[in-house]
Amino acid sequence: MLIENRNLSEVQKVNYERELLKGNTDSLLLSLINRQPTYGYKIIKELEKGSKGYFQFKEGTLYPALHRLERAGLLEGKWQKLPSGQERRYYYITAKGQKSLAERMAVWQNFAAAVALIMEPSG
Amino acid sequence: MRLDAVVENDVVREIRAHIEDKKHELIESGLSEKEANRAVCRSMGSPELVAKQIYEVYSQGSWVQAIFAALPHLLVAAFFALHWWQSTFWLIGILAAVVGGAIYGWFHGKPAWLFPWLGYCLIPVIAVGILLVYLPGGWAWLAASAYVPLALLIIFSVTKKIAKKDWVFASLMLLPAPIMLGWIMWLWILALEGHHGFLSYEQLYEFAPLIALTFAVLALTVATFIRVRQRWLKVGVLLTLEIIILGIMALSRKSSINPVGWIGLILLSVILILGPALLEKYPKRTSGKPLHLSSKSVR
Repeated sequence: MLIENRNLSEVQKVNYERELLKGNTDSLLLSLINRQPTYGYKIIKELEKGSKGYFQFKEGTLYPALHRLERAGLLEGKWQKLPSGQERRYYYITAKGQKSLAERMAVWQNFAAAVALIMEPSG
Repeated sequence: MRLDAVVENDVVREIRAHIEDKKHELIESGLSEKEANRAVCRSMGSPELVAKQIYEVYSQGSWVQAIFAALPHLLVAAFFALHWWQSTFWLIGILAAVVGGAIYGWFHGKPAWLFPWLGYCLIPVIAVGILLVYLPGGWAWLAASAYVPLALLIIFSVTKKIAKKDWVFASLMLLPAPIMLGWIMWLWILALEGHHGFLSYEQLYEFAPLIALTFAVLALTVATFIRVRQRWLKVGVLLTLEIIILGIMALSRKSSINPVGWIGLILLSVILILGPALLEKYPKRTSGKPLHLSSKSVR
Protein backbone atom coordinates (compact mmCIF):
# COMPACT_ATOMS: atom_id res chain seq x y z
CA MET A 1 0.00 0.00 0.00
CA LEU A 2 2.83 2.30 0.97
CA ILE A 3 4.65 1.52 -2.27
CA GLU A 4 1.47 2.17 -4.26
CA ASN A 5 1.11 5.62 -2.69
CA ARG A 6 4.67 6.49 -3.61
CA ASN A 7 4.19 5.50 -7.25
CA LEU A 8 2.88 7.99 -9.78
CA SER A 9 -0.76 7.43 -10.57
CA GLU A 10 -1.83 7.19 -14.21
CA VAL A 11 -3.24 10.71 -14.02
CA GLN A 12 0.02 12.03 -12.59
CA LYS A 13 1.98 10.25 -15.34
CA VAL A 14 -0.21 11.79 -18.03
CA ASN A 15 0.13 15.23 -16.44
CA TYR A 16 3.92 14.83 -16.17
CA GLU A 17 4.18 13.80 -19.83
CA ARG A 18 1.92 16.67 -20.82
CA GLU A 19 4.15 19.13 -18.97
CA LEU A 20 7.26 17.73 -20.66
CA LEU A 21 5.60 17.88 -24.06
CA LYS A 22 4.35 21.41 -23.47
CA GLY A 23 7.89 22.61 -22.86
CA ASN A 24 9.22 20.89 -25.96
CA THR A 25 6.45 21.21 -28.55
CA ASP A 26 8.15 24.10 -30.34
CA SER A 27 11.49 22.27 -30.50
CA LEU A 28 9.85 19.11 -31.88
CA LEU A 29 8.02 21.09 -34.56
CA LEU A 30 11.10 23.08 -35.55
CA SER A 31 13.16 19.91 -35.70
CA LEU A 32 10.64 18.10 -37.91
CA ILE A 33 10.11 21.03 -40.29
CA ASN A 34 13.88 21.58 -40.47
CA ARG A 35 14.18 18.16 -42.11
CA GLN A 36 11.59 18.93 -44.75
CA PRO A 37 8.89 21.56 -45.28
CA THR A 38 5.57 19.99 -44.40
CA TYR A 39 1.93 20.68 -43.47
CA GLY A 40 -0.21 20.23 -40.36
CA TYR A 41 -1.78 16.86 -41.02
CA LYS A 42 1.52 15.30 -42.05
CA ILE A 43 3.26 16.75 -39.00
CA ILE A 44 0.88 14.88 -36.69
CA LYS A 45 1.45 11.67 -38.65
CA GLU A 46 5.24 12.07 -38.76
CA LEU A 47 5.48 12.81 -35.05
CA GLU A 48 3.40 9.76 -34.25
CA LYS A 49 5.36 7.53 -36.61
CA GLY A 50 8.78 8.93 -35.67
CA SER A 51 8.15 8.46 -31.95
CA LYS A 52 6.63 4.98 -32.44
CA GLY A 53 3.24 6.21 -31.28
CA TYR A 54 4.46 8.15 -28.23
CA PHE A 55 3.64 11.63 -29.53
CA GLN A 56 -0.03 11.94 -30.41
CA PHE A 57 -0.60 15.58 -31.14
CA LYS A 58 -4.08 17.03 -31.13
CA GLU A 59 -5.03 19.56 -33.77
CA GLY A 60 -5.91 21.98 -31.00
CA THR A 61 -2.28 21.88 -29.84
CA LEU A 62 -0.63 21.79 -33.23
CA TYR A 63 -2.16 24.73 -35.09
CA PRO A 64 -1.82 27.33 -32.32
CA ALA A 65 1.83 26.21 -31.92
CA LEU A 66 2.53 26.44 -35.67
CA HIS A 67 0.97 29.89 -35.87
CA ARG A 68 2.85 31.02 -32.77
CA LEU A 69 6.16 29.93 -34.33
CA GLU A 70 5.22 31.62 -37.59
CA ARG A 71 4.36 34.85 -35.79
CA ALA A 72 7.73 34.69 -33.99
CA GLY A 73 9.41 34.51 -37.42
CA LEU A 74 10.76 30.97 -36.85
CA LEU A 75 8.53 29.40 -39.50
CA GLU A 76 6.98 30.62 -42.71
CA GLY A 77 3.70 29.25 -44.02
CA LYS A 78 3.03 29.11 -47.77
CA TRP A 79 -0.02 27.83 -49.59
CA GLN A 80 0.69 25.22 -52.23
CA LYS A 81 -1.77 23.86 -54.73
CA LEU A 82 -1.49 20.15 -55.44
CA PRO A 83 -2.09 18.71 -58.93
CA SER A 84 -5.41 17.38 -57.55
CA GLY A 85 -6.50 20.97 -56.89
CA GLN A 86 -6.35 20.64 -53.11
CA GLU A 87 -4.47 23.35 -51.24
CA ARG A 88 -2.17 22.80 -48.32
CA ARG A 89 -0.31 25.21 -46.13
CA TYR A 90 3.32 24.11 -46.03
CA TYR A 91 5.60 25.32 -43.26
CA TYR A 92 9.21 26.22 -43.96
CA ILE A 93 11.84 26.91 -41.33
CA THR A 94 13.43 30.36 -41.54
CA ALA A 95 17.06 31.28 -40.83
CA LYS A 96 15.91 32.60 -37.45
CA GLY A 97 14.12 29.30 -36.85
CA GLN A 98 17.27 27.30 -37.66
CA LYS A 99 19.29 29.41 -35.25
CA SER A 100 16.66 28.96 -32.56
CA LEU A 101 16.57 25.20 -33.17
CA ALA A 102 20.37 24.93 -32.83
CA GLU A 103 20.19 26.80 -29.52
CA ARG A 104 17.31 24.66 -28.27
CA MET A 105 19.15 21.46 -29.21
CA ALA A 106 22.27 22.57 -27.35
CA VAL A 107 20.19 23.39 -24.25
CA TRP A 108 18.33 20.09 -24.53
CA GLN A 109 21.54 18.04 -24.86
CA ASN A 110 23.07 19.73 -21.82
CA PHE A 111 19.87 19.26 -19.84
CA ALA A 112 19.46 15.60 -20.84
CA ALA A 113 23.11 14.89 -19.99
CA ALA A 114 22.73 16.55 -16.57
CA VAL A 115 19.50 14.65 -15.84
CA ALA A 116 21.18 11.39 -16.86
CA LEU A 117 24.12 12.07 -14.52
CA ILE A 118 21.73 12.37 -11.58
CA MET A 119 19.06 9.81 -12.50
CA GLU A 120 21.30 7.15 -13.98
CA PRO A 121 24.61 7.38 -12.10
CA SER A 122 27.19 5.04 -13.65
CA GLY A 123 28.99 4.37 -10.43
CA MET B 1 -11.98 33.86 -33.99
CA ARG B 2 -12.17 37.66 -34.26
CA LEU B 3 -8.91 37.81 -36.18
CA ASP B 4 -7.79 39.91 -39.10
CA ALA B 5 -9.88 38.70 -42.08
CA VAL B 6 -6.83 37.44 -44.02
CA VAL B 7 -5.41 35.51 -41.05
CA GLU B 8 -8.82 34.09 -40.13
CA ASN B 9 -9.42 32.93 -43.69
CA ASP B 10 -5.98 31.24 -43.72
CA VAL B 11 -6.63 29.42 -40.44
CA VAL B 12 -10.09 28.24 -41.54
CA ARG B 13 -8.75 27.01 -44.92
CA GLU B 14 -5.90 25.21 -43.20
CA ILE B 15 -8.11 23.42 -40.67
CA ARG B 16 -10.62 22.58 -43.41
CA ALA B 17 -7.83 20.95 -45.46
CA HIS B 18 -6.75 19.03 -42.35
CA ILE B 19 -10.29 17.78 -41.76
CA GLU B 20 -10.56 16.62 -45.37
CA ASP B 21 -7.26 14.70 -45.10
CA LYS B 22 -8.29 13.04 -41.88
CA LYS B 23 -11.74 12.19 -43.14
CA HIS B 24 -10.32 10.65 -46.30
CA GLU B 25 -7.97 8.49 -44.22
CA LEU B 26 -10.82 7.26 -42.02
CA ILE B 27 -13.01 6.43 -45.03
CA GLU B 28 -10.10 4.49 -46.53
CA SER B 29 -9.76 2.57 -43.27
CA GLY B 30 -13.36 1.35 -43.65
CA LEU B 31 -15.55 3.93 -41.92
CA SER B 32 -18.66 5.27 -43.57
CA GLU B 33 -18.73 8.96 -44.44
CA LYS B 34 -21.09 9.69 -41.57
CA GLU B 35 -18.91 7.80 -39.09
CA ALA B 36 -15.80 9.53 -40.45
CA ASN B 37 -17.41 12.96 -40.06
CA ARG B 38 -18.35 12.13 -36.47
CA ALA B 39 -14.87 10.79 -35.66
CA VAL B 40 -13.14 13.83 -37.15
CA CYS B 41 -15.34 16.24 -35.18
CA ARG B 42 -14.59 14.30 -32.00
CA SER B 43 -10.84 14.27 -32.57
CA MET B 44 -10.63 17.99 -33.34
CA GLY B 45 -11.65 18.78 -29.76
CA SER B 46 -13.43 21.93 -28.70
CA PRO B 47 -13.59 24.45 -31.60
CA GLU B 48 -13.96 27.23 -29.02
CA LEU B 49 -10.68 26.23 -27.39
CA VAL B 50 -8.83 26.07 -30.72
CA ALA B 51 -10.29 29.47 -31.68
CA LYS B 52 -9.27 30.92 -28.29
CA GLN B 53 -5.71 29.61 -28.63
CA ILE B 54 -5.34 30.90 -32.18
CA TYR B 55 -6.79 34.26 -31.06
CA GLU B 56 -4.18 34.48 -28.32
CA VAL B 57 -1.41 33.90 -30.87
CA TYR B 58 -2.47 36.94 -32.89
CA SER B 59 -4.03 39.16 -30.22
CA GLN B 60 -0.80 40.53 -28.82
CA GLY B 61 0.35 43.68 -30.60
CA SER B 62 3.99 44.73 -30.80
CA TRP B 63 5.43 47.52 -28.67
CA VAL B 64 5.35 49.80 -31.72
CA GLN B 65 1.62 49.12 -32.12
CA ALA B 66 1.11 49.73 -28.39
CA ILE B 67 2.86 53.11 -28.63
CA PHE B 68 0.92 54.00 -31.76
CA ALA B 69 -2.38 53.12 -30.04
CA ALA B 70 -1.45 55.19 -26.99
CA LEU B 71 -0.28 58.16 -29.09
CA PRO B 72 -3.60 60.06 -29.43
CA HIS B 73 -4.09 59.94 -25.64
CA LEU B 74 -0.48 61.03 -25.13
CA LEU B 75 -1.03 63.94 -27.54
CA VAL B 76 -4.07 65.06 -25.52
CA ALA B 77 -2.06 64.67 -22.29
CA ALA B 78 0.73 66.81 -23.80
CA PHE B 79 -1.86 69.31 -25.07
CA PHE B 80 -2.83 70.05 -21.46
CA ALA B 81 0.50 69.44 -19.72
CA LEU B 82 2.40 71.74 -22.07
CA HIS B 83 -0.45 74.27 -22.46
CA TRP B 84 -0.62 73.74 -26.23
CA TRP B 85 -4.19 75.09 -26.24
CA GLN B 86 -2.63 78.56 -26.49
CA SER B 87 -1.10 77.77 -29.89
CA THR B 88 -3.20 77.48 -33.05
CA PHE B 89 -0.30 75.58 -34.62
CA TRP B 90 -0.49 72.74 -32.07
CA LEU B 91 -4.27 72.71 -32.10
CA ILE B 92 -4.46 72.29 -35.88
CA GLY B 93 -1.45 69.94 -35.82
CA ILE B 94 -3.09 67.58 -33.32
CA LEU B 95 -6.42 67.62 -35.18
CA ALA B 96 -4.64 66.87 -38.47
CA ALA B 97 -2.62 64.07 -36.84
CA VAL B 98 -5.75 62.47 -35.35
CA VAL B 99 -7.74 62.64 -38.60
CA GLY B 100 -4.70 61.52 -40.64
CA GLY B 101 -3.96 58.60 -38.29
CA ALA B 102 -7.59 57.45 -38.36
CA ILE B 103 -7.86 57.64 -42.17
CA TYR B 104 -4.54 55.81 -42.61
CA GLY B 105 -5.55 53.01 -40.23
CA TRP B 106 -9.04 52.69 -41.71
CA PHE B 107 -7.66 52.05 -45.20
CA HIS B 108 -4.81 49.80 -44.02
CA GLY B 109 -6.70 46.82 -42.60
CA LYS B 110 -8.19 48.52 -39.51
CA PRO B 111 -5.46 47.37 -37.08
CA ALA B 112 -6.02 47.48 -33.30
CA TRP B 113 -4.10 50.76 -32.92
CA LEU B 114 -6.64 52.57 -35.13
CA PHE B 115 -9.52 52.56 -32.64
CA PRO B 116 -8.24 55.10 -30.07
CA TRP B 117 -7.61 57.49 -33.02
CA LEU B 118 -11.09 56.82 -34.33
CA GLY B 119 -12.56 57.63 -30.91
CA TYR B 120 -11.12 61.14 -31.10
CA CYS B 121 -12.63 61.61 -34.55
CA LEU B 122 -16.05 61.45 -32.84
CA ILE B 123 -15.21 64.49 -30.69
CA PRO B 124 -16.46 67.04 -33.28
CA VAL B 125 -19.86 65.29 -33.14
CA ILE B 126 -19.97 65.82 -29.35
CA ALA B 127 -18.37 69.29 -29.52
CA VAL B 128 -21.05 70.61 -31.89
CA GLY B 129 -23.71 69.38 -29.44
CA ILE B 130 -22.03 71.28 -26.59
CA LEU B 131 -21.72 74.47 -28.64
CA LEU B 132 -25.48 74.38 -29.31
CA VAL B 133 -26.00 75.27 -25.64
CA TYR B 134 -24.64 78.72 -26.40
CA LEU B 135 -27.37 79.46 -28.95
CA PRO B 136 -29.69 82.27 -27.85
CA GLY B 137 -32.92 81.57 -25.95
CA GLY B 138 -35.17 78.71 -27.02
CA TRP B 139 -33.00 77.96 -30.09
CA ALA B 140 -30.62 75.95 -27.93
CA TRP B 141 -33.35 73.46 -26.95
CA LEU B 142 -34.74 73.29 -30.47
CA ALA B 143 -31.34 72.63 -32.03
CA ALA B 144 -30.38 70.17 -29.27
CA SER B 145 -33.57 68.15 -29.68
CA ALA B 146 -32.78 67.76 -33.39
CA TYR B 147 -29.04 67.30 -33.03
CA VAL B 148 -28.74 64.89 -30.06
CA PRO B 149 -30.62 61.98 -31.75
CA LEU B 150 -28.58 62.55 -34.92
CA ALA B 151 -25.29 62.57 -32.99
CA LEU B 152 -26.27 59.42 -31.07
CA LEU B 153 -27.21 57.73 -34.35
CA ILE B 154 -23.80 58.55 -35.86
CA ILE B 155 -21.95 57.25 -32.77
CA PHE B 156 -24.16 54.13 -32.64
CA SER B 157 -23.64 53.36 -36.35
CA VAL B 158 -19.85 53.68 -36.08
CA THR B 159 -19.81 51.56 -32.91
CA LYS B 160 -21.98 48.88 -34.53
CA LYS B 161 -19.75 48.74 -37.59
CA ILE B 162 -16.64 48.29 -35.45
CA ALA B 163 -18.36 45.76 -33.16
CA LYS B 164 -18.85 43.57 -36.25
CA LYS B 165 -15.07 43.27 -36.52
CA ASP B 166 -14.57 42.74 -32.78
CA TRP B 167 -16.56 44.32 -29.99
CA VAL B 168 -13.49 45.00 -27.81
CA PHE B 169 -12.28 47.44 -30.46
CA ALA B 170 -15.54 49.38 -30.09
CA SER B 171 -14.91 49.46 -26.32
CA LEU B 172 -11.39 50.72 -27.02
CA MET B 173 -12.78 53.47 -29.25
CA LEU B 174 -15.38 54.61 -26.68
CA LEU B 175 -12.92 54.42 -23.75
CA PRO B 176 -12.15 58.15 -23.41
CA ALA B 177 -15.82 59.23 -23.66
CA PRO B 178 -16.72 59.01 -19.92
CA ILE B 179 -13.48 60.73 -18.94
CA MET B 180 -13.99 63.52 -21.45
CA LEU B 181 -17.61 63.84 -20.36
CA GLY B 182 -16.44 64.01 -16.75
CA TRP B 183 -14.03 66.83 -17.53
CA ILE B 184 -16.61 68.69 -19.65
CA MET B 185 -19.17 68.48 -16.83
CA TRP B 186 -16.55 69.47 -14.23
CA LEU B 187 -15.33 72.51 -16.17
CA TRP B 188 -18.81 73.48 -17.32
CA ILE B 189 -20.09 73.64 -13.73
CA LEU B 190 -17.08 75.80 -12.86
CA ALA B 191 -17.75 78.03 -15.88
CA LEU B 192 -21.38 78.49 -14.88
CA GLU B 193 -20.27 79.44 -11.39
CA GLY B 194 -17.76 81.95 -12.83
CA HIS B 195 -18.19 85.09 -14.89
CA HIS B 196 -20.12 85.17 -18.20
CA GLY B 197 -20.51 81.37 -18.29
CA PHE B 198 -16.96 80.86 -19.66
CA LEU B 199 -13.94 79.19 -18.12
CA SER B 200 -11.02 81.45 -17.26
CA TYR B 201 -7.43 80.73 -18.30
CA GLU B 202 -6.48 80.55 -14.62
CA GLN B 203 -8.97 77.75 -14.06
CA LEU B 204 -7.70 75.88 -17.08
CA TYR B 205 -4.08 76.25 -15.86
CA GLU B 206 -5.15 74.98 -12.45
CA PHE B 207 -6.72 71.78 -13.78
CA ALA B 208 -4.40 71.13 -16.74
CA PRO B 209 -1.96 68.84 -14.81
CA LEU B 210 -4.81 66.61 -13.56
CA ILE B 211 -6.42 66.49 -17.02
CA ALA B 212 -3.02 65.56 -18.50
CA LEU B 213 -2.56 62.84 -15.87
CA THR B 214 -5.93 61.24 -16.64
CA PHE B 215 -5.11 61.06 -20.35
CA ALA B 216 -1.61 59.73 -19.62
CA VAL B 217 -3.19 56.89 -17.59
CA LEU B 218 -5.58 56.35 -20.48
CA ALA B 219 -2.55 55.99 -22.79
CA LEU B 220 -1.09 53.41 -20.39
CA THR B 221 -4.43 51.56 -20.38
CA VAL B 222 -4.51 51.35 -24.17
CA ALA B 223 -0.87 50.23 -24.42
CA THR B 224 -1.54 47.47 -21.86
CA PHE B 225 -4.65 46.42 -23.81
CA ILE B 226 -2.56 45.99 -26.96
CA ARG B 227 0.18 44.01 -25.22
CA VAL B 228 -1.88 41.45 -23.28
CA ARG B 229 -2.98 38.26 -25.04
CA GLN B 230 -6.03 37.02 -23.15
CA ARG B 231 -9.35 38.49 -24.10
CA TRP B 232 -10.73 38.62 -20.55
CA LEU B 233 -7.58 40.45 -19.48
CA LYS B 234 -7.99 43.03 -22.25
CA VAL B 235 -11.55 43.82 -21.14
CA GLY B 236 -10.46 43.76 -17.48
CA VAL B 237 -7.68 46.27 -18.14
CA LEU B 238 -10.08 48.69 -19.88
CA LEU B 239 -12.70 48.43 -17.15
CA THR B 240 -10.37 48.57 -14.16
CA LEU B 241 -8.16 51.43 -15.28
CA GLU B 242 -11.11 53.50 -16.55
CA ILE B 243 -12.83 53.18 -13.16
CA ILE B 244 -9.55 54.02 -11.39
CA ILE B 245 -9.19 57.20 -13.50
CA LEU B 246 -12.77 58.25 -12.72
CA GLY B 247 -12.16 57.38 -9.06
CA ILE B 248 -9.07 59.61 -8.95
CA MET B 249 -11.05 62.45 -10.53
CA ALA B 250 -13.96 61.92 -8.10
CA LEU B 251 -11.68 61.92 -5.06
CA SER B 252 -9.99 65.17 -6.09
CA ARG B 253 -10.69 67.89 -3.53
CA LYS B 254 -11.59 70.37 -6.25
CA SER B 255 -14.18 68.17 -7.98
CA SER B 256 -17.29 70.14 -8.85
CA ILE B 257 -19.38 67.05 -9.67
CA ASN B 258 -21.42 65.44 -6.87
CA PRO B 259 -21.07 61.71 -5.97
CA VAL B 260 -24.24 60.82 -7.90
CA GLY B 261 -22.67 62.34 -11.03
CA TRP B 262 -19.52 60.25 -10.59
CA ILE B 263 -21.52 57.06 -10.02
CA GLY B 264 -23.41 57.88 -13.24
CA LEU B 265 -20.10 58.27 -15.11
CA ILE B 266 -18.78 54.97 -13.75
CA LEU B 267 -22.00 53.23 -14.86
CA LEU B 268 -21.63 54.87 -18.28
CA SER B 269 -18.08 53.46 -18.48
CA VAL B 270 -19.33 49.95 -17.75
CA ILE B 271 -22.05 50.33 -20.42
CA LEU B 272 -19.65 51.71 -23.03
CA ILE B 273 -17.00 49.04 -22.39
CA LEU B 274 -19.27 46.00 -22.14
CA GLY B 275 -22.24 47.20 -24.22
CA PRO B 276 -20.58 46.67 -27.63
CA ALA B 277 -20.59 42.91 -26.84
CA LEU B 278 -24.37 43.00 -27.26
CA LEU B 279 -24.03 44.77 -30.61
CA GLU B 280 -21.74 42.03 -31.88
CA LYS B 281 -24.36 39.34 -31.25
CA TYR B 282 -27.04 40.88 -33.44
CA PRO B 283 -25.29 41.41 -36.76
CA LYS B 284 -24.44 38.03 -38.25
CA ARG B 285 -20.69 37.66 -38.64
CA THR B 286 -19.79 37.34 -42.28
CA SER B 287 -15.99 37.20 -42.20
CA GLY B 288 -14.59 33.70 -42.61
CA LYS B 289 -16.58 30.80 -43.98
CA PRO B 290 -18.02 28.36 -41.45
CA LEU B 291 -16.24 25.06 -41.06
CA HIS B 292 -18.20 22.24 -42.60
CA LEU B 293 -17.37 18.79 -43.76
CA SER B 294 -17.82 18.48 -47.46
CA SER B 295 -18.46 15.12 -49.07
CA LYS B 296 -15.86 15.83 -51.75
CA SER B 297 -12.50 14.63 -50.56
CA VAL B 298 -9.66 15.30 -52.96
CA ARG B 299 -6.10 14.27 -52.49
